[in-house]
Amino acid sequence: MTESEVAFNRSLGGMVRTETQSGIPLKPVYTPADIEHSEYGRDLSDPGRYPYTRGIYPEMYRNRLWIKSFIVSYSTPEETNRAFKEYIAAGQTGLRLLADLPIQTGIDPDHPSSWNSMMCGGMSSYSLDSYEKALDGLPLENVDYELAHSSISSPLFFYSLLVALMEERGLNIANLRGSAINDPFRANIVYGSPDFPTEIARRVCFDLIEFGARYTPKWKAYAPNGVDPQQSGLDAVQEVSEVLGVATAVYGDIIRERGLKLDDIGATVFSMDAESDFFETIAKFRATRRMWARIAREKLGATTERAMSLRIGIRTSGLSLQTQKPLNNAARVTLQILSCVLGGVNSIDASSIDEAIGLPSREVRMFNLDTQHIITHEANVPLVADPLGGSYYLEWLTNRIEQGAYKELEEIERRGGMWECLKSGWLRQRIDHSRIKVQQEIAEGKRLVVGVNAFQGEEGPISKAIERTSYKVPSRQARLKNIASVRRLRRTRSRQAVSGALRELYRAAGESRNVVRPVIEAAKARVTIGEVVGVIRMAYGYDYDPLQQIATPAFVRELVKMS
Amino acid sequence: MSQRRRIRIVVGKVGCDIHERGALTLARALRDAGMEVIYTGRYQTPEAIARTAVDEGVDVIALSDHTGSMRYIAADVVKALEKSGGADIHVVAGGLIPGRDLPALRKMGVTGNYGPGTPLDVIVSHIFSLVENR
Repeated sequence: MTESEVAFNRSLGGMVRTETQSGIPLKPVYTPADIEHSEYGRDLSDPGRYPYTRGIYPEMYRNRLWIKSFIVSYSTPEETNRAFKEYIAAGQTGLRLLADLPIQTGIDPDHPSSWNSMMCGGMSSYSLDSYEKALDGLPLENVDYELAHSSISSPLFFYSLLVALMEERGLNIANLRGSAINDPFRANIVYGSPDFPTEIARRVCFDLIEFGARYTPKWKAYAPNGVDPQQSGLDAVQEVSEVLGVATAVYGDIIRERGLKLDDIGATVFSMDAESDFFETIAKFRATRRMWARIAREKLGATTERAMSLRIGIRTSGLSLQTQKPLNNAARVTLQILSCVLGGVNSIDASSIDEAIGLPSREVRMFNLDTQHIITHEANVPLVADPLGGSYYLEWLTNRIEQGAYKELEEIERRGGMWECLKSGWLRQRIDHSRIKVQQEIAEGKRLVVGVNAFQGEEGPISKAIERTSYKVPSRQARLKNIASVRRLRRTRSRQAVSGALRELYRAAGESRNVVRPVIEAAKARVTIGEVVGVIRMAYGYDYDPLQQIATPAFVRELVKMS
Repeated sequence: MSQRRRIRIVVGKVGCDIHERGALTLARALRDAGMEVIYTGRYQTPEAIARTAVDEGVDVIALSDHTGSMRYIAADVVKALEKSGGADIHVVAGGLIPGRDLPALRKMGVTGNYGPGTPLDVIVSHIFSLVENR
C-alpha cells in the first residue's frame, strides 16, 4: 500500500459496549414482556400523581418551564453583578451563587492558604459587603437563588447574607426562594471540607433546615447532592442510593430530634447529575422520583403532595467534558440537557463547553441558554409531559435502576446506616472503587471517549478559540487588592458590634441553640466567614483555624475568655 | 529497574482546590507502575509539600491543580524546595493549566504540565525518564 492509499474499515466506529455507563447489561431490544410486572397506577400513574414517576406536575412544562440556572460568580462582586444582569436579560431564571475555593473552605482572603486559589471558581465573598455589591439592583423576593457550595459553613453564611440583605432592604424574608445544597455527607466524603467536623456540620445542617422551615418556607434549606459523589466516581445507580440515603438519614434524624414533620419542611429537592448515557440518565430521574415518593410516605410519614413529590435540580456532568477538541462538548452538553427535559427535571444548570479548560466565557453561557431555548421553541420537546413514558426500554431501565438502588440501600442498612457508613469510610470507598473501574475501562478501550482515547485528531481554529476565550484566573494584583480590602474592612467596622455578635454566636453554638439568627446578626455587623467558622469551631473545643496555620485573633481570644 | 531502588514520589495539592479525582487517579497509576507514592491530600501549603518531599527523600513531586493557578503554586513549591535543600527534586505538574502559563512553568523547571485526559502511561513514562536521565 502506498502512503496516499487509505485503509477502509467498515467497522470503524462500531459499538464497543453493550452495557450502560453504570454497567447495566442491555439486550438489543425490549418488548412488553420486559415490563409485564409493571402496573400503570402503582408504578407510573399520570404526571402530577403519586408516585410521580412521570413528573410532579399534571401538565409539566406547559405551566412551569424548568428553571434555567447556572453559577454566576466571577472573581469580584462588581463583575458578578454585571454578568447577572446580562444573563437575566437572556433568560436565566435561577441565580446560582458560588464562593471561591478558600471561602468555601471557611477561611478569609488574608489566610496564608487562600492565596493560591483566591478568587478562583467563584467570588471572594467574605462578608455582607460582597453580596450587597453582587446583588445590587437585583430582586431578592420571589427569585430563585441557589447556593451550591461544597462545605456546610458556606450555606450557613450565604443563606444568612441573603436574609441579612433582605432585612436591611426592609423586605419580607418569607419571600426568599431557592435552595442550598447543605449536605454534610457530600462535604465530608467528596470534599473532606475542613471547616466543620461532622458533628458540627450535622448540627448546622439541621439548624438551617429548622430555621428555614419556620421563617423562609419557600426556601429549600437542604438539597441532598448526588452530583459530586457521581463526578467523583459513583455510577448512576449508586448516585440514586446516595441521595435517597442521605435524605432519609437527615430527615429521619431531624424528625426525631427536632420534632419537625416532613410535611412542615415542605418540598424536597435533590441535586443530581446528568451524565452522558442518555437513556440511563432519563430513567434515573424517573426512578428517583418514584423511590422518594414511597420513602417519604412509608418511612418518613409524609402526607402532603408537596412533601412526597420530588423536585430535581440538575447539574450536567463537568467530568464528561474534555479539553481535547472542546467543540465536541457542545454535543455532549446538548444531549445532557435533552435528557434532563425528557426526564422531567425542575431546574437545569448546564455545564459549558469550555469548562474543562477554565471558567465559562460569556459567549458559551449564552450558548447554554440558547440551547435550552432551541429545545423549547424550535424542537418543541417540552410540549408533552414525559413523552417517553411507556417505552419498553425506558420503563424496564427505570425499574432496573430502582432495583439496583434498593439493593445498595439494603447494603447501607446492613452496614449500620448512612452515618455509620460515613464514619467507617465505606461511602468513600464506594466512590473510589467505581472510579477505578471506569479508569480501567477507559485504559482498556472498553469505554470510548471521543477525542481522548478514540477519534483523536487535529484541533481546528474553533477549538483553539474556545481555549483562548475561556475565563482567566485573577492576577497577582487583583489578589493583593482583595487581601487589602478584607484588612480595610477589619479596620473600619464597629469593633463593639463585631464582638457582641460573635459572643452571641459563641454562646448559641455552645448552648445548642439554633445558630442561624446569630450568624445573620453577625453578618450585619460585617463579621467575615473565617470569623464565623472559627468561633463556632471554638465553641466545640476545636482550633479557630480549620487548617491550623494561623493563630486565633486577639479579639476572638478575648471574647471567648469573657464568655 | 530491578537494580535500582523504587522511584519515590509525592503527589500534592496546594491550597483550597477541591478537585481530587486527577490526583487520586494519578497516585494509583504511579503505584501500579511500581513507584512509592505519598499522597499529601488536599489543603496543603507549599512549605509542607516541600518538607514532606525532602524528609521522605523523594525523586519527584507531582502537583495537581484545577483552579488555573498552577504557575503561582509551582513557583511557591519550587521556592520552598530551594529553601529546604530539595532543589534537586523534580517537579511535574498536571490539571487545568492555562496554555499561556506554560513558558513560565518551563522556565522554573516544571515539566509535564499535563491536561485532563492525558493517558496515564504518558505521565508514568515521563517520570521514569526524568529520574533515569538524572
